[in-house]
Amino acid sequence: MDPAERAQAARARVPRIDPYGFERPEDFDYEAYEEFFSTYLVILTKRAIKWSKLLKGSDRIRKSLTVKRYVRKGIPLEHRARVWMAMSGAQAQMDQNPGYYRRLLEGECSPSLEEAIRTDLNRTFPDNVRFRKTSEPCLQKTLYNVLLAYGLHNQGVGYCQGMNFIAGYLILITKNEEESFWLLDALVGRILPDYYSPAMLGLKTDQEVLAELVRMKLPAVAALMDGHGVLWTLLVSRWFICLFVDILPVETVLRIWDCLFNEGSKIIFRVALTLIKQHQEFILEAKSVPDICDKFKQITKGDFVTECHTFMQKIFSEPGSLSMTTITRLRESCRATLLTQG
Amino acid sequence: MAQAAGLSQISTTSGQPYVSKLVLLGSSSVGKTSLVLRYMKQDFSNVLPTVGCAFFTKVVDMGSSSLKLEIWDTAGQEKYHSVCHLYFRGANAALLVYDITRKDSFHKAQQWLEDLEKEFHPGEVVVMLVGNKTDLGEEREVTFQEGKEFAESKNLLFMETSAKLNYQVSEVFSTVAQELLQRAGDRGSSSQEGEAVVLNQEPAARHSQCCP
Repeated sequence: MDPAERAQAARARVPRIDPYGFERPEDFDYEAYEEFFSTYLVILTKRAIKWSKLLKGSDRIRKSLTVKRYVRKGIPLEHRARVWMAMSGAQAQMDQNPGYYRRLLEGECSPSLEEAIRTDLNRTFPDNVRFRKTSEPCLQKTLYNVLLAYGLHNQGVGYCQGMNFIAGYLILITKNEEESFWLLDALVGRILPDYYSPAMLGLKTDQEVLAELVRMKLPAVAALMDGHGVLWTLLVSRWFICLFVDILPVETVLRIWDCLFNEGSKIIFRVALTLIKQHQEFILEAKSVPDICDKFKQITKGDFVTECHTFMQKIFSEPGSLSMTTITRLRESCRATLLTQG
Repeated sequence: MAQAAGLSQISTTSGQPYVSKLVLLGSSSVGKTSLVLRYMKQDFSNVLPTVGCAFFTKVVDMGSSSLKLEIWDTAGQEKYHSVCHLYFRGANAALLVYDITRKDSFHKAQQWLEDLEKEFHPGEVVVMLVGNKTDLGEEREVTFQEGKEFAESKNLLFMETSAKLNYQVSEVFSTVAQELLQRAGDRGSSSQEGEAVVLNQEPAARHSQCCP
């Protein structure tokens, strides 16, 4: 078969819609994907057996080194919702507050919050068949409920664009409105710093922290940024706000979230540093600000990020040591600097 | 604001196009990204809300000269207001976009103007007020006259557009580009003088050029 025929054949074998309901993009490389997936399937099967044994006979998942190792190698889709719920404390919250979610939705309404959420419903995953107005059931209503309940629950945050993408993924994985709500609460309320509060200080801080980490670990890239006066926020704000949704491939995002729920927000820095380090030479070719922006878009595409299993191994090896102590210290100093700048 | 430009950030060396930075500002869902995508890719589709900022470049060919636009498309949600301020830095032009079917978005555009006025000297930035979604004329809440009068009172350029129907989208960008080039010409770059643009026009007259 010639290359065109091989591509055609792969296209015929791989479904046009992925397991989560997303239509594959126009330029999707079916052949490369099929090649990756045939090896990944073996890993998935092996992990599924291991997880079944781990979960057998115990209805509680305790954090341990074994669990951490297992999570880093990926949680099988059939267990993902349950494990996320357990690790993040969302399950405990849900158990302690029976009926709370329903009461939020039945309680006082907030027209401005409802309007803000409604504006984004049609614009959340238009490429996902389950979020289409015509689909049955249509997940737009579920998404609306989860975001509305969350905005009423955490009024300091309300609704912030970006949360729609995160809640959307949670709904696709849990297929459960209330669980999605509690997982969103775990992320926004506990796991992430204040990314979504009105001043977005947590976001601004973490962007600066990443800049500092790059300065320490990849000084040539930092020098390039400084030389062109590029704001890190222009390049990476979406990475933090959307937790890589709509930036990296779906499967890769889910693997990252597995670790995020278990190990916390420093995983985001590991992913960001790995993307930058892996493509350091490529980034350094940039001659202008538009070049740099373009390169930062390109490094989130291609085989390196599609091959999620290898990618996840790399995020724990490539950036080198990254202790929580370092992150906490950098967060404190960056936050202090931002506050003095006003 | 449209007079006496001091485009200090615009730079050029012989043979290189001018480079200008243009920011799009406005409420959520007024069509900022749609305008950019229509202009860049001749495409209109259901775009995702912009989180943070997106960046595009395009060279605008103005006949005898050309201008490279760096287009910064920002998030519209109120939450991102403080983040958007970071993107102002060094802007040469701004599009204040509102949705003609939403009065609140028109008021928001006016607030953005106030923010710009705090950050820049009068005339430092070329500002165009853009009323988008003329395809939804039946639901119109802001009349053409209202938009035009406000723009004139503040010395802004003004246009109404439809990103969906591709109505006056490229005109928005080319008018701004022309204004930027003209101001660069006014500053005394002799090679630019008198080319491609009409000098010594009152702002009001320029408005009528770009309005239907």
